[in-house]
Amino acid sequence: MNIVVCLKQVPETAEAEVKLASDKKGIEMEGLPLQINEADNYALEQALLLTEEHDGDVTVVTLGPDSSDEVLRMSMAKGAAEAVRLAGPAFDRGDPVAIARALAAAVKDLEYDLVLTGCMSSDDGNTAVGMALAECLDLPHATYVTQMEMGDGEVTVGRELEGGLIEKLKMKMPCVLGIQTGINEPRYASIMGIAKASKREIAMKSASDLGLDEGSVGEEGSRTKLEELAYPPVGEGAEILEGTPAESSGKLAEVLREKGFV
Amino acid sequence: MAVSLKETYELLGCIQCGRCTAGCPVGFRTYLNVRKVVYEGLTETGPRDAKGRPEAWNCTTCSNCTDRCPKGVKPMELLIGLRSAAIEKGKAMPTVRDALESTFKHGNPWGRGRDKRMEWAEDLDVPVADEGEEAPLLYFYGCTPAYETRAQDVAKSLVRVFAAAGVPYKTLGTAESDCGNEIWRLGEQGLFELLVEGNTELFRSHGVETIVTSSPHCMNTFKNEYGDLGIEALHYSQFLKELLDEGKLELPTPVEKTVTYHDPCFLGKHNEIYDEPRDVLNAVPGVTFVEFDRSRERALCCEGGGGRMWVEAVEERGERIAEIRVNDAVALGADYLVTACPFCLLTLEDAVKTSGNEGKIEVVDLSELVAMAL
Ligand code: SF4
Ligand code: SF4
Repeated sequence: MNIVVCLKQVPETAEAEVKLASDKKGIEMEGLPLQINEADNYALEQALLLTEEHDGDVTVVTLGPDSSDEVLRMSMAKGAAEAVRLAGPAFDRGDPVAIARALAAAVKDLEYDLVLTGCMSSDDGNTAVGMALAECLDLPHATYVTQMEMGDGEVTVGRELEGGLIEKLKMKMPCVLGIQTGINEPRYASIMGIAKASKREIAMKSASDLGLDEGSVGEEGSRTKLEELAYPPVGEGAEILEGTPAESSGKLAEVLREKGFV
Repeated sequence: MAVSLKETYELLGCIQCGRCTAGCPVGFRTYLNVRKVVYEGLTETGPRDAKGRPEAWNCTTCSNCTDRCPKGVKPMELLIGLRSAAIEKGKAMPTVRDALESTFKHGNPWGRGRDKRMEWAEDLDVPVADEGEEAPLLYFYGCTPAYETRAQDVAKSLVRVFAAAGVPYKTLGTAESDCGNEIWRLGEQGLFELLVEGNTELFRSHGVETIVTSSPHCMNTFKNEYGDLGIEALHYSQFLKELLDEGKLELPTPVEKTVTYHDPCFLGKHNEIYDEPRDVLNAVPGVTFVEFDRSRERALCCEGGGGRMWVEAVEERGERIAEIRVNDAVALGADYLVTACPFCLLTLEDAVKTSGNEGKIEVVDLSELVAMAL
């Protein structure tokens, strides 16, 4: 069983103070460590586990700048057999559908039984590329997948719904699945492994390599356009607890008790 | 791995005397039997990585086994090697994986951002060397005193002591990165090498001649594992001893307390630094010093080393060693259980709570005791 995983590199912002770039079209990237998008990491692990169990290869595909090679190398260190990167100015500033169109052009020529993506990205959070990709490839799609059971030419997936419910779907393969975090426990990519993988080749594909009309991808191929990023307006009702950790945690306990939460 | 464990770790010398196991602090409370691990490595009958032998993660790398082996076999190194083999296959438990990934991304194993590394020093006047600025005397405060709220007291106390003694030190501010001591012991040799390279270059660019560390762990790796670094690495207890001997540090305020001292493994057993911390402790006026029965080279390990701060111990049973240590200190009538290592500080303080000794004894870092006497 062969699996294609579409993934992307994102800045890690959990610990950072995020600042808008001067053109308000992005954030200041300086000093932010780059990493694989969290949900994509689970998608990759799921693909590796499945191909280890059912034999086959994992191919990872990304669309992004030169720095994205790092997540492809990490994926190869973990066990991916091939890596493809869509690169070139034609892909710049694409919306999720334009990105999906480009990815579909690269994926369609690969041999696969499943296409996995993360269910959402931690930077833009559109939750759209996976669905659009399935549409472009004319394949069935499921989002928020937290369970997978392989059958003969089909897969039974569990989708996470609200309130702890799981929706079970039986899907014909090939299909595109948006993997939710927590479905597995991603493995570690050792530095030695990444160094070894850096000697392996990454297949670079431009829009013309993929036979794509430049007007169909990137900014030109997008129906939505990013106007501006802005900070949310400061709301009311938040209280900042001052003091040492011991003092502020004491105050927090008081507040929780007062409001009847504990 | 093409070469067998037997060859890599020279296990053929083993006579199965069991001295290693007899001295192992975790052997009696987990099913880690280090003699058996050596035997199965020797006969090639055991698992070849820590995935198949999860108890290898319980080792605190206290080095008792390696130090006690009469045949020069290196059981501890074998256990670290088994961890490495697991890491190479990506098989690290999630807590270890997260610590390693954080070290790669942020330069610390605590999952915290680099730009928050100097938050401990916010209200203090701590000198930071600018890029390329000379810093012949470097205070390497370390990851745990940077981010862990209780351990921050170590760094805060030390900079007060340095200021009082007029020490012309500098720090590297947020440019400082993990020393790699725990990383190597967790089995991530590639990441360790990356850290050695980065740190060596950074120290050289600042013309560092002497490094004073908060933690014995950082001192250990700079001193013993950084190849031809050519920089003197001192634990702060050694440095404070020098300051006291030279009359640069005065401690006028008495601390009327009964105090015992827990030898950190990486200061004591690994580097045979037993006297300096005791000398510094005894230079504090008012202190009554009582010695543990098991002290110096016989000291019990607190189980905080060898990356254990990030390891979920596998199938433990019985009392934690840190709890035994705390109970012994209470029985000695000590007001303060003093140590000189951020990991010992955290594990012992935790053990005060879990052993029901809260209010009976306080765990105090030597740096804090000295700061009290200023
Ligand atoms: S102490 Fe040394 S010789 Fe004795 S059993 Fe352990 S490894 Fe073998
Ligand atoms: S280093 Fe210490 S904890 Fe690890 S096996 Fe040896 S004696 Fe036991």
